[in-house]
Amino acid sequence: MLAFVQVLASGVAIGCVYGLVALSFVLIYKATETVSFMQGDLLMLGAFAALGLHAFAGWPLVVAAVAAVLGVGVLGAVLERTVLRRALGQPHLVAVLLTFGLGMMMRGGVASVPAAAQDMHRLPFAADTLAIGPLVLATSHLWVIAATVLLAGLLAAFFRHTRTGLALRACSEDARSAALMGIPVARMHTLAWALGAALAAIAGLLLAPVTFVHLNMGFIALKAFPAAVLGGLTSLPGALVAGVFLGVAEALAGLALPEGAKDFVPYVLLMAALLLFPQGLGGGRGRA
Amino acid sequence: MSPLRRLAFALASSLSLACALPAVAAGVSADEIVVGTVSDLSGPIAMLGVPVRDGMLMRFDEANAAGGVHGRRIRLAVEDAGYDPKRAVLAARKLVQHDQAFAFIANMGTPVVMASMPIIVDAGRLHLFPFSPHRATYEPLHPLKFQNFAPYQDYMEAATRHMVRERGYQRSCLLYQDDDYGLEVMKGVEKALAGLGTELVERTSYKRGATDFSSQVARLRAARCDLVVLATVVRETVAAMSEARKIGWDVDMLVTASGYSAQTHELGGAAVEGLYGVSVLPHPYAEGANSQLAAWIERYRARFKAEPNVWSVMGYTLADLFVRTAEATGRELTPESFARTLEGMEFTRDYFGSPAYRFSANDHLGNRKGRLAQIRNGRWELITDYVE
Repeated sequence: MLAFVQVLASGVAIGCVYGLVALSFVLIYKATETVSFMQGDLLMLGAFAALGLHAFAGWPLVVAAVAAVLGVGVLGAVLERTVLRRALGQPHLVAVLLTFGLGMMMRGGVASVPAAAQDMHRLPFAADTLAIGPLVLATSHLWVIAATVLLAGLLAAFFRHTRTGLALRACSEDARSAALMGIPVARMHTLAWALGAALAAIAGLLLAPVTFVHLNMGFIALKAFPAAVLGGLTSLPGALVAGVFLGVAEALAGLALPEGAKDFVPYVLLMAALLLFPQGLGGGRGRA
Repeated sequence: MSPLRRLAFALASSLSLACALPAVAAGVSADEIVVGTVSDLSGPIAMLGVPVRDGMLMRFDEANAAGGVHGRRIRLAVEDAGYDPKRAVLAARKLVQHDQAFAFIANMGTPVVMASMPIIVDAGRLHLFPFSPHRATYEPLHPLKFQNFAPYQDYMEAATRHMVRERGYQRSCLLYQDDDYGLEVMKGVEKALAGLGTELVERTSYKRGATDFSSQVARLRAARCDLVVLATVVRETVAAMSEARKIGWDVDMLVTASGYSAQTHELGGAAVEGLYGVSVLPHPYAEGANSQLAAWIERYRARFKAEPNVWSVMGYTLADLFVRTAEATGRELTPESFARTLEGMEFTRDYFGSPAYRFSANDHLGNRKGRLAQIRNGRWELITDYVE
């Protein structure tokens, strides 16, 4: 029983990271109808930016982390202004390949720094544990869960109660009508890309104590994208819930089912869920 | 002269010229030997490729500074294939045709080696000590192929047998990467346990790039393992140990040479204290080094502005094997004469703490053994000699 709860807690924590990356997919997709295949690379870039600012430029960790997230957010905005905007109105594949290529350029850029390409690094977060009775939780996992809850709350408030958030929602519901109502749609697109990039960077920082900072850490996006699909691709709460669901399913399958099952169980569940709920888990509340 | 007669004359004169000179191998001139390497300086194992290249450069430069090998300077021609077999083919062709490499040393990565090895041996060039545990690098016996990296299966069998026999573990388990590497280790561990009349109690795998090991570790704990063999690389080693210690499980773990790296204790900190590992070549720690090793570390630091690691030692050692064999071969240097000399060579233990490398006419694999080490006070300490 104890092992079960223990594994469950780890599954929730990893699921939260999947969920955050899935959120960034959904945020961008909702606003611009583009599937961004560079979220994993933005995640990696965010973690390396924080590492570089902290370990090599000597900034305090908190400042470095905030600067990294803001920096990657600005990068997202700049990329939208200069490159991604041109993909609007083109076939979907154009944007997909464009983001894919931009992601490869980011990887190449980071890999050109020998220290980054050659080694794994750790951000000096606390590596201690917290014991609740017989249950032992890693503080890094608790941080991940707390940060995810906080971010989800902030995003919900932003989309419900701020003019900008409402405008962004309006754009994603119907860009043409939104434009007629005087909403600057282009600016909203820039904002969506900036938010999506910043979210990926935050996920990178949260992942850093779990897997360390290295060139391939962005591969986690391969798990997060199914979560986004499972959540319906247009529902923010759906993406988050689906991420946690996948994380937990993966962890518990590894514990309870025969060896090897954990690698395919999440995907079987994913297919089953899509069969039963074609709109995704959060489908009804999305654009449907 | 008609054009035809002129051609015939030219052919005849070049033939007679060729007969007058002693047989000279590709890549060997009066004052130079060209050695090629298809390395990875930008890809996923650049963390090995760069220090290996630097180690080789250092040894060759020392040989050149001492007057070269029988008056010939050694030039290392480096190509970067980035772990990509397509680029490896191009790189090998360039080194064979353009640079006329006499031998290839330390080609980096199994996909690279598998793609480029046929080109190299078909051109009649030596294929020495590639960074690939694949058996094809030394079996079946080929006159131009030599290897000195112990295969996972052999040294993990010896290491597991030693651990279980000496320390009396009752319930051995395995956590392995779900690919060739993990399966190779599994074979070795199973063989060792079968020899001791027991078997694996539990085995569990992970995919490359896995983030979370909580379910694997919980599973192993539920099986009440008292020894967990890890077929993991650095990050997974740290993750598995951290997870076990986090949930208060004080089990002994033994990792392959892929986890024997200074990065393991640098990243893992207190959580990896007590981890056992297999070393096929010791890490060059500056602290507590013998005087020769300390001087070597100083030279390396001064030259490359970086700390040497086990891969730098590896590169240096491989280049050293080449230089010493070429010295022993004499002035008449051909791939055949070099290979026959290497078959008779015995390289004794050196100040790095390397194993003794020994080749023969029937066996082109120079070493099959590793030694056990343990992380104590934040660094690897060797705890046994090379185990049989």
